[in-house]
Amino acid sequence: MFSLRAKSVCLCAILLALAVYSAGCATQASKKAEFFGKVEPPPGQVLRYISGSEPESLDPQVGTGQPEARIYMAFFEGLVEYDPKTMEPIPAIAETWDTNKDSSEFIFHLRKNARFSNGDPITAQDFVYTFRRGLAPALAARNGYLAYEIKYAQGYNEGGSFVRDTKTGKFVTAAEVEPEAESKGQSVEPAMPANASPHAAELAVDKENPSYDTDFHHFMHEPVRLVVAGDEKGREKEFKANPKLRAALENKELVPVKAEDIGVEAIDDYTFRLSLTQPAPYFIGLMPHQFFRAVPRKAIEQWGDTAWTLPEHIVTSGPFKLKAWKPYNEIVAVKDPMYWDAANVRLNQISFYPLEETTTMMNLYKAGEVDAVFNHNVPVGWLDQIRPLKDYMDAPEVAIEYYQFNTTRPPFTDKRVRKAFNMAVDKKALAEYRKIVKPLTAFTPEGIFPGYPQPKGDDFNPEKAKQLLAEAGFKDASGKFDPKKFPINEVELTYNTAESNRQVAEFVQAQWKQNLGLTVSLKNMEFKTFLQSRAKLEYKGLGRAGWVGDYMDPYTFLALFSTVGGDNGTGWYDPKYANMLKEANRQSDPQKRYELLAKAEAYMLDAQPVIPLMTNATNWVKKPYVKGMYPNPGTLHAWKFVYIEDDRAKWDYGVPKLTSDKPTTAE
Amino acid sequence: MFKFVLRRLIITLPMVVIVVSLTWGLIRLAPGNFYSGEKKIPAAIEKNIREKYGLDKPWYVQYGRMMGSVLRGDFGNSLRYQGQSVNQILLMTLPVSATLGLFSYLIALLVGILAGTLAALKQNSRLDYASMALAMLGLSIPNFVLGPLLVLVLSLSLYWLPPARWGGFPSWNLVLPVLTLSGVYMAYIARLTRSGMLEVLRADYIRTARAKGLSERAVVFRHALRGGLLPVVSFTGPALAFLISGTVVVERIFALPGLGNYFINANLNRDEPLIIGIVAFISIAILLFNLLVDVAYAYIDPRIRY
Amino acid sequence: MNEERSATDRAQTTGQPALTPLGTPPEAPRDPDIIHTSPELAVGEGDVRSAEMRDDTIVGTSLWKDAWRRLLKNKLAVFGLVVVAIIIVVSLVGPYIIKATTGYTYDFIPPDSKLVKSFPPFQAPDGSFSGAHPMGTDNAGRDILARVLLGGRISLMVGIISTIVSLLIGISYGATSGYLGGKVDDVMMRIVDVLYSLPYMMIVIVLLAFFGNRSPLGQLFLLFAALGAVSWLTMARIVRGQVMSLKNQEFVQAARATGVTTPKIIFRHLVPNALGPVIVYATLTVPSVMLQEAFLSFLGLGVQAPLASWGSLASEGIQNIAIFPWQLIFPGVTMALTLFSLNFLGDGLRDALDPQMRKF
Repeated sequence: MFSLRAKSVCLCAILLALAVYSAGCATQASKKAEFFGKVEPPPGQVLRYISGSEPESLDPQVGTGQPEARIYMAFFEGLVEYDPKTMEPIPAIAETWDTNKDSSEFIFHLRKNARFSNGDPITAQDFVYTFRRGLAPALAARNGYLAYEIKYAQGYNEGGSFVRDTKTGKFVTAAEVEPEAESKGQSVEPAMPANASPHAAELAVDKENPSYDTDFHHFMHEPVRLVVAGDEKGREKEFKANPKLRAALENKELVPVKAEDIGVEAIDDYTFRLSLTQPAPYFIGLMPHQFFRAVPRKAIEQWGDTAWTLPEHIVTSGPFKLKAWKPYNEIVAVKDPMYWDAANVRLNQISFYPLEETTTMMNLYKAGEVDAVFNHNVPVGWLDQIRPLKDYMDAPEVAIEYYQFNTTRPPFTDKRVRKAFNMAVDKKALAEYRKIVKPLTAFTPEGIFPGYPQPKGDDFNPEKAKQLLAEAGFKDASGKFDPKKFPINEVELTYNTAESNRQVAEFVQAQWKQNLGLTVSLKNMEFKTFLQSRAKLEYKGLGRAGWVGDYMDPYTFLALFSTVGGDNGTGWYDPKYANMLKEANRQSDPQKRYELLAKAEAYMLDAQPVIPLMTNATNWVKKPYVKGMYPNPGTLHAWKFVYIEDDRAKWDYGVPKLTSDKPTTAE
Repeated sequence: MFKFVLRRLIITLPMVVIVVSLTWGLIRLAPGNFYSGEKKIPAAIEKNIREKYGLDKPWYVQYGRMMGSVLRGDFGNSLRYQGQSVNQILLMTLPVSATLGLFSYLIALLVGILAGTLAALKQNSRLDYASMALAMLGLSIPNFVLGPLLVLVLSLSLYWLPPARWGGFPSWNLVLPVLTLSGVYMAYIARLTRSGMLEVLRADYIRTARAKGLSERAVVFRHALRGGLLPVVSFTGPALAFLISGTVVVERIFALPGLGNYFINANLNRDEPLIIGIVAFISIAILLFNLLVDVAYAYIDPRIRY
Repeated sequence: MNEERSATDRAQTTGQPALTPLGTPPEAPRDPDIIHTSPELAVGEGDVRSAEMRDDTIVGTSLWKDAWRRLLKNKLAVFGLVVVAIIIVVSLVGPYIIKATTGYTYDFIPPDSKLVKSFPPFQAPDGSFSGAHPMGTDNAGRDILARVLLGGRISLMVGIISTIVSLLIGISYGATSGYLGGKVDDVMMRIVDVLYSLPYMMIVIVLLAFFGNRSPLGQLFLLFAALGAVSWLTMARIVRGQVMSLKNQEFVQAARATGVTTPKIIFRHLVPNALGPVIVYATLTVPSVMLQEAFLSFLGLGVQAPLASWGSLASEGIQNIAIFPWQLIFPGVTMALTLFSLNFLGDGLRDALDPQMRKF
């Protein structure tokens, strides 16, 4: 009895092991190939692309994520588009654009043949509508803050009010109530009083184009009006922050900020002007963002803010239009003949597959059922095998990863302790372990912004780290650092559940253990729980964070620490830093501005509210026959340039160059 | 019997109300919101969102509104997936999950009962050991391992079957997910059947039946199988309800647009209407399947009375 | 048989003891464990009372001693027992031995970045033979053997404790519900249905939000609570089904007729007879809780990295199956071996405890 049953057990175990091993070997053998899996171009210029998780919406002003952005780039077009290689703005519906001297005003010249998918022309009025809709409080778009640089946009979006003197009919200006101290929290928010920059009063009349001299333009150049909160409660708060305000509001009436007050203007059908609260040279880089892509007024007004995206109602403005939308299954985009540049659009169809499981994506890719996958989908463990292949793509990304300190909770209230923890992490070793990322000591991604004099943070220095900790009081009788004195139970490294986050956390934990003798416990959390603990500063010690730039400018990173209760979740805020940033943005010379930004960054790094870890890298695969897709810093692809190449000689072998104009093969 | 069934059907509605209310409370207690994301939203925008979705109203107003929509059978729109209504999502995903679940369970039932019965009849024979060893193998390989293994061998090495995605019914795409899913259930059923049968085969009434001179086949099929399947029947109720309401792991591995995937993401996204809708559906399914199980008890074993 | 008691009112089955005879109960001249194993004979109140009196002395030991004797006769069960015991011991002691001999721990990432990668079993970085890592290393260059052994601790603990919890709750709940029947059964089973229907994930998220900041031990307790909360539900339904089928059989009726109290009928007469499927289902519960633990750790409940469990090792391993098969094979085979052994042990236990089996 024993032997018989035991035999069958052994047999099963052996069979299982064999099956697993042979499967492993079978695939290993096929790895000798040039590419990962099958390479047979699909017929009929059809691209099958895995775009990430199921999109929140097909409304470009509603969906906020990158998976959505990739899909919107097929259906909607803005004034400008991302360059497929560098992500710099390139002409789209706007053929050309000018800015005024200090980059606080942009004028876009629209092409006359741009049309929606229903044949309606796309005019400057459509952009006025698009911007106003995006900011409407009723839409409650989460990306609304991106447009806050536009004059009175924030006031409108927040439901604020102007203040008018009932007797004189004049509006109270921001300058009148400006608080003496510059250190107030509000002072950095654009539409707030302290932000009344002097240039606003200058009104330069364009002599060549007298028609540009409109009443609205004059309104935009009036002294900046005061905007107060629309509700009683909000105003009370503001009164507390600025005592002058209460007096200024006596016997005045409140006039709600309307959509028409926002600094967007259709000078004529094909000329569109943006007026900003302050100089913002980087703002043009934000214009290709999904939030600013043209949406169809007629359809939205007819069907409502959500129903217009249904396949039977949707009207689009991009090179492709919607053919079918099967949630969690596929979104089919077909070439739109109405598109102004339809003659140059080569793909007939794009099938977007919403998928989340990395292994499944790679399986589909390998079996030749999809042609490309989105970013960060080759597991690190596979890189040694896949990186040498000719269809693997990586390049530096406009994204960083870092750990942030809870600076409101001991022991990290002490800057020396924060610095010590930073110095005890060997970022070069970490980068080697993660294989494609670059070590980072600063807070802006390395090598992404040409000409930016990026400062350097502290280097790896375990000895100095121990010394700093000893200085902070964690020392034994001889004055040397003693790990036993450190309140290690007050420190945890918290991260949201993801395999890559765990791997990095384990590595950093080992670093601290080896270099400081401190074993920091790790704690993973489900995403939304994690976000809450971070936002409310409930986490102990350290939390994981990452940031993907909204546009190609260091400011998108540095601005994280520019507000009191801002995005950063560290509890660190320094008005001096905020002012340094503001100062830099007033600078119209780009190089000088960069230098000032770099100075601000160095100042922030010195305070060490974060441990910078790495500049991320894009990391994905595409079949060699897919041309016109590049590993640009945001992995956002302008689909109109993409096509399927049947001629093997013209395929991409390796990562295509990101700089030259002609897409030739590299390496 | 009729009265019993009627009573259980009537009780379904209050049960759903209880389940939905508890779920609603849970969602309120859970940290985070459907709109919270990596980027912290400015307070003013958060206020706009809360106003838009009525989250600024007192809790009883929100609860009343939610309960009203549940009782009307219209769960409203998903908060995460703008423009998709919960009812539509249920209608769309249900056929996928049901096809997958029922198909897998059917296969599992067939193979499992057959193997379990044979094993019990030939206790301690080669056949018994072989089928039970296989069953145990099926149990010890979790489906998140079995699925990728099958894909690796059958679709990436041999290129016989597509590795993932939904292809409608019937299609080759179904083969791997169904195999993956049925593996564990097959094992469960085989083992439960075997032990149930062993129990029954020793019972007096089987002895009597044999003594009466009935053929072995008649004894097994007409008498033993009925009682022997009792544990399987108990297991089937929850298992089926669970299968139909989606099986996350398999849906994710094979990228199938089923209910399970939606449900997991709805939980992670704190998508209240979607969670409520799916939970209401699941609770109805569980109540109905368990009612069926109870009815089946009485049919299988005449001694069971309610 | 005490004929005069067979006519006892059925209503008394709800818990009221029947009239008890005054005077001393007659001594039962039988094997003590017969009361447990052959309930059809346990009819006299006196028998039961005498059984009660002997509960902690003769009967208790004798029943288990008897079962133990039968278990030892079953070679396969002994095999299972031995393997499980070995695995438990090795996973408890093994990590210390490894640390003492090779110096590796489950969380040791080599400082030399050239070693931070996955090496095959018995292979040194230069490709030559080496006994340092008998199971190879994982992506971070950590010793898989140490991780598997350590993972065994948590997985075994989770599997066994949760299963026992589910057995205890499931049996008492299901048997009570099935035996009492009627309205009580209705209410009890509807509670189970409600628990089934609630979104488990949401419950765990809320649990963590309120109790997540506890010590590691508190976390572990939370894990068992979360696992136990669901695993007993199906168990209860299975037990209930069995009990419903058994409760109208002669031996129960007889016991009832003689005025045996309800709890005694349930736990002395019904449960032992329903044990077969219960033990089988319990052995099926072990792998499912082990895997559920991996899911819960996704939500942040359970052991924290760099600690691992078999479930998490397997899910990590499956991702790299095509490149580093040893990352799956070793944890997988260890886990499978354990489950096989537990199943043999379960079968043996079932046979040993099964009153009818004894006749064979």
